[in-house]
Formats: sequence, C-alpha cells, structure tokens
Amino acid sequence: MRQYKTFSYRLFNLFVNLVMLTSLLLCLTPFVYMIALSLSSPKAIINNEVFLWPKGFNLESYKQIFTYPNFFHAYGNTLFYTFAGSAISLGLMVLFAYPLSKSKLRGQKTLMKLVIFSMFFTGGLIPNYLLVSSLHLVNTRWAMLLPFAINQFNLILLINFFRSIPNDLEEAAIIDGLDYFGILIRIILPLSGAALATVGLYTAVFFWNDWFNGLIYLKSSQFPVMLFLRNIVTGTSMVGDAAGSGDKTTIAISIKSAVIITSTLPIIVLYPFLQRYFVKGVMIGAVKG
Amino acid sequence: MKRPDSADQTITTRKYLARYWQLYLMIVLPLLYFIIFKYVPMVGNVLAFRRYRPGMGAWGTEWVGLTYFRRFFEDPAFWRAFRNTLVLSLLNLVVNFPIPIIFAILVNEVRHLAFKKVVQTVSYMPRFISTVVVIAILGELLSPSSGIVNLFRMKVLGQKAIYFMNDTTFFRLIYILVDTWQYTGWTAIIYLAAITAIPQDLYEAATIDGANKSQQILYITIPSIMPTIMVMLILNVGRLLSLGFEKVLLMYTPDNSMVSDIIDTLVYRTGLANQNYSYATAIGLFSGIIGIILVAGSNSLSKRLTGDGIY
Repeated sequence: MRQYKTFSYRLFNLFVNLVMLTSLLLCLTPFVYMIALSLSSPKAIINNEVFLWPKGFNLESYKQIFTYPNFFHAYGNTLFYTFAGSAISLGLMVLFAYPLSKSKLRGQKTLMKLVIFSMFFTGGLIPNYLLVSSLHLVNTRWAMLLPFAINQFNLILLINFFRSIPNDLEEAAIIDGLDYFGILIRIILPLSGAALATVGLYTAVFFWNDWFNGLIYLKSSQFPVMLFLRNIVTGTSMVGDAAGSGDKTTIAISIKSAVIITSTLPIIVLYPFLQRYFVKGVMIGAVKG
Repeated sequence: MKRPDSADQTITTRKYLARYWQLYLMIVLPLLYFIIFKYVPMVGNVLAFRRYRPGMGAWGTEWVGLTYFRRFFEDPAFWRAFRNTLVLSLLNLVVNFPIPIIFAILVNEVRHLAFKKVVQTVSYMPRFISTVVVIAILGELLSPSSGIVNLFRMKVLGQKAIYFMNDTTFFRLIYILVDTWQYTGWTAIIYLAAITAIPQDLYEAATIDGANKSQQILYITIPSIMPTIMVMLILNVGRLLSLGFEKVLLMYTPDNSMVSDIIDTLVYRTGLANQNYSYATAIGLFSGIIGIILVAGSNSLSKRLTGDGIY
C-alpha cells in the first residue's frame, strides 16, 4: 500500500478532514452561541460583544425565566405530554405490532394494507381538526396525546423487530402453557429492549418537540414549552414583565436564548448516551417486512 | 396450542378463534384507535364536496359537488401556493438530495476512527432538535440589529443590514440551508450503511491497479450505492408536495408570503384561521390526491428500474 504516502492521498485526507471539521462546527456553533448569549450581561449583548464566549457572565436570565409562571407551567406541561404521550403510544403500538408480526394470522395482510395506505393518504388538516373538535377534545390535554399516538413508521419498526425474534421461543412457551398475553409480556417484551428504547425515544422526541397541535387545540395554560418559545419569538406573548427599561430587546435576547437552551437541554444532554438507539431505528426500519 | 401456520387453513373458524382470540383481543383497542384517528378523517374529506355550516356537524349539511374545487381553481392565491410548493420542493431536492450522498462518501473516508464517530454522532443531532428551536436560533443569528450575520455585514463589509427573515429573495435559500443543516447527517446514515456493505477487496484490487482515491470513489463507491441512490431519489419525488409544513409556517411572515405561502399554509390559513372548512378541505384533498399519485407512480417506476419499491 504505497499509496498512503503519496502527496495526492495526503491532500485528499486533508480535504476530508477539513470538510468534517467544518460540518462539526456548523452543527455545534448555533448552540454554543445561544449558550453564550444566555449567560451574558445585557450590556455586553447590546454592545454586540458576545460571540462564542459569554461576556459579563451571569445566570440572571435563567433565574428569571424560572420565576415566570408561564414558562414553568409550559415546561411542566411538556414533561407531562412527553411521558403520558410516550406511555399511551408505546402501549397501543405494542398491542398492535405483536399480532401484526404474525404474518399467518388471518386478517393480518388486510390490516397491514390498512396501516400502509394510511401512511400515504391522510385525512388532512381540516378533517383532523373537525374530528378532534367533534370528540370534544379541544381545550383538553388529550388533544395533544391522542391524534398522533400511533406513528405508522414506528409501528412497522416494531413489527419488523418482533418478526426477527425466533419462533422457537414462542413455541416452547406455548408448550409450557403460556397464553399470548403471557408470551408478549414475559418473552417478547423482555427481548425487545433495544427496539422499545428506539421507538420510545422517537416518540418522546416527537412529543417533546410538538407545538402545532398545541397551537390549534389548546388554551394557553396547557401550552407546551415549544409553543411558549414560538410565541415569544413571534412576539404574540410576553416573556414576563417588560422590566420597564429601554433595553427591553436585549433582555429579551438573553431570555430567549435561555428558553431555547433550557427547552433543548434534555435532548442535547441525553443525546450522546442514547444516540445508538436513535440510529438503530434507521437500520431496523430499513429491513422491510 | 399451536402457532398460526398453514395447517390452520383446514380448521374451522370457531376452533381458530378459540386458539387465537387473545391476539385478536390485543388488536381491538389499537384498531379502534386507528379507525377513529386515521380513517374517520380520511372519510371526513367528503367535506370538500359538502357545505359546512357551523354547529351542524363535521360532515357538512348538503352536497355541493365540485363547487369548492372550481372556486380554488379560479383563485390566484391557490396557484401561487401551488407554484411556491413545487418550486421550493424542486430546489430543495436539487440541493439537498446530493449533499447527504457526498457527506456519506466523505465520512467513510475519515481514517481517524474516534473523529469519525464524533462527526457522525454530532451530525445526526440536529434532526432531533425542535423546528421551533431551529427557527428561533435562526431568527437570532439573522436578526437585523443583533444577529452575527448582519453584524459581520455592517462592521466588516460595511454593508447595510438585511432583514433576512422578511425578505422574499432569501426565503427559499434559508429554508433549503436549514434543511441541509437539519437532515444531512441523518439522511447520510442510509448511504453510509450502503457504503459499508461494499466488499473491501474491490478497493484492494483497484489500489493494486493504481487507482487513486477519487477514481475509487467514482468507479467503485458511487456505482455500488447506485441502487440506494435511485430508491431514495424516487422516494423523494413521491414526497414532492409534502414540504416541512411546520418549518414554513414558522418562517412565514406577511412580508415573505409571496414565496413562502405553500399549499399547507394556505389550507391552514383559509381553514383554521378563516374557518372556510369546506374550501380548505377541498384544497387539502386535491394536494393529497396528487401526493398519492406521485407516490404510486414513483413506486412503480422504482420497481421497474431497481426491482425494489417502498411497499
């Protein structure tokens, strides 16, 4: 392998590493900038002195946002939607996916067609809205939890995973006298940790990030934190008291950044530890059933 | 008890159910859910052909035929949204289809394994950040008074600040670049998996024959992942009408509406903001039907060309 020493090889290597370094910086810089802004003093921000390192370091904006009842509520709401939504979603999807993973079960093919068709043709915004409102779910937290409880992509991911579990295990369990609920709970689920983690994470991220359903269905006390943030950005809601000073906009910048960071922090912090599950989903999902 | 298998074809329904009733019981709740939340709204599309009157139910009151379709076909706002949707989608496809492929090829060439891992991990992350957060950060970066992009223009280049987020000339560019930022790393996973599956001896043989890196990429890597590229391309064409609605809605301002009003935002505004439910349903149904034709068409094309489809 003489090639490793040639000039053109080194040039190529340099080019590859430069591109990678640039991509790395492009992905991270926006967050570093937001962190720097949120930790800087209003004076430094108004003088445009802040870039990637905080100037006039202080935690004032973080202290402030947690005194705003709106933000505090919204954050709590998001936590609730994420946990409740993921629990409902996983429960329904597991119950659906297990029978659907048995390709010889009568009716299974029809049900699969039903699921797949609904991935390509949907009711659309207005019929969905009218459904939720005729079920009297508008202005209730259910409007956030129910309409997207089953995601067809995640469902198929689970079905594919259940299919990959060897049949022998199930046959042995049947001989031992277990019924299908018993098999699902005691054999299939314990073996599906990775798939459940993957689907659970996708679902949790969906609920954590969802704001549009909140916008069309909920009243302000039920808003999730993403909708709260969106309303600050569009100026439709005030962050807190205007503080009565001339540098309102700069206060708003550090506060906005603090809201951005706090509402994204759980994902950024947990992401490195959980990313292998996120990626696994693409791989399981790519194996077609 | 036995598992469902071909021998069961012969047994009676009663016996079959006695054996497998629990599996059917499991299905009941999710199926009910599925019918209510996925299929009832699908049927709810009949509203496009019926007049909606407030307080008289979600299904409308009387049949009006194609009235609403005729109305939006004559509406310049619809055609503007239709054109905006197509232009934005096509531009996005042209830019953001090749980028993940190039990125995957380059990531694969990184020799330092720890660095490679870090790059990959970090590049997937934007996919999991809320669009609200992405657009909020963007708003701060591009702000005319305090954003770093404009500070650079004013202080270093001595130019005037531009209100990027309100500017019709920049809307499409910004949308597309944000898409690049959000999805490049994530989409590259699929190509990376295809690249990893290429047999290493192909490269070894090429090296012995004196092929350099760029020749190896051009004559081994790219042809080997061509089937994956084709399937992805066809999938993308099938999704041509479904843009990132939430992102466009977050970037939408009355000032940039000339280019930022797409079909989905038009449906949202006429339907939910102005409560023209039937009219908006008709527009939504029309774009839904074009969407399904595109998917079905591109899928059969994919099957013919690559022997592989998405369903």
